[in-house]
Amino acid sequence: MRCADMEQRIGALADGELVEAEARDVAEHLRTCPTCRAAHERVLALRTALEQHAPPLAAPDRLRATIRARLPTAGIGSRRPVAWRWLAAAAALVAVIGGTWQVASTASAGRALADQVLASHVRSLMPGHLTDVVSTDQHTVKPWFNGRLDYSPAVSDFAGAGFPLIGGRLDYVGGRPVAALVYGRRQHMIDVLVWPTGSGPGAGPASLTRQGYHMLHWVGPQYTWWVVSDLATPELRQFAELLQRAEAATPP
Amino acid sequence: MERDPIERFEAVALPHLDAAYTLARYLMRDDAAAQDVVQEAFLRALKYFDRYRGGDARAWVLAIVRNTSHTWRKRQGGQAVEFDEHVHSGSVEEHTPEAALLRAADRAMVRQALDQLPLELREAVVLREIQGLSYKEIAAVAGIPIGTVMSRLSRARARLEQLLGALAGRE
Repeated sequence: MRCADMEQRIGALADGELVEAEARDVAEHLRTCPTCRAAHERVLALRTALEQHAPPLAAPDRLRATIRARLPTAGIGSRRPVAWRWLAAAAALVAVIGGTWQVASTASAGRALADQVLASHVRSLMPGHLTDVVSTDQHTVKPWFNGRLDYSPAVSDFAGAGFPLIGGRLDYVGGRPVAALVYGRRQHMIDVLVWPTGSGPGAGPASLTRQGYHMLHWVGPQYTWWVVSDLATPELRQFAELLQRAEAATPP
Repeated sequence: MERDPIERFEAVALPHLDAAYTLARYLMRDDAAAQDVVQEAFLRALKYFDRYRGGDARAWVLAIVRNTSHTWRKRQGGQAVEFDEHVHSGSVEEHTPEAALLRAADRAMVRQALDQLPLELREAVVLREIQGLSYKEIAAVAGIPIGTVMSRLSRARARLEQLLGALAGRE
């Protein structure tokens, strides 16, 4: 793949919008091309900046009240069909044109995957399920996965930053066995599910809150990550950045 | 028994009021204008509610908010010139900042950089990064093919990186 063709694919990879084979090709290219790897890192950094400083907003109560008050006098039915019929036409057009390369149907697949990640986390919190290997030593946890999985994930300890490594376990997500790394933050547990990019599902929302748990998801040049915890999002985001930097600093 | 259509409309559309306000606020860059747009959009949505055939209600509401915003911007003479895919394409290889510099950007810089994006690029990045829509959903909301979603997002990101880099680098 040439770098000239990469720009949109790098964005689509970070958005979890590439099908598996395509994601694998792009990840492969990122491993060998520092320029494109830096571009990918910028996409993730930009996402962090936007999440921190340009959040979704809540509609003012006054606006909600005004709209509810005005609806009964507004009336349904119209002479000119516009919005939705036109949209349906646009959707048909989209279906025909469909982009220059294949885009994964992410919305539902991503949500289903998020459900599995959450279920894995909740299961792990039950007594005796958290870790198969208990160790704060990354050099013990990483080799433990050898022979149990067809890959050995990157394992770093972030005790210095207040996120100590607790251990690891095997889990089953997205139709394949995956490595789960467990970190702590005060009394909170953080689960990190990780598999090589392009060797499993890549789709999913970048961040999601469900049943009081927060999830972050991104696709890196080497690994695809899901982070889930009951920890507040800013702290979880901080933790995700540590993982992203560790991946960027690790030679492929 | 047929429920009151206004009640049905409220059940379908009102859960997406926050999303509607978020999109309008970032597109209009002004709180009062955003509230006006959302109000008009919801009244329009109700008017056309008999044509809503189910499906993704959020995308339906956001598409109407998006179109109303564009109409308002034109009325204000905001974007008198039609968006030209061609003029706004082409990679601008000026100065690409380091990722670390982007992470160091503060709130004012991020807002300023967003505000400086052309409307079509801003809506792509707001729908994707702030509202978390998939490419397919963005295509439906903006009424463009998925390929165009990808190219707009890519240009929006490149432009934002440059703007932010310039703002953060000045510090």
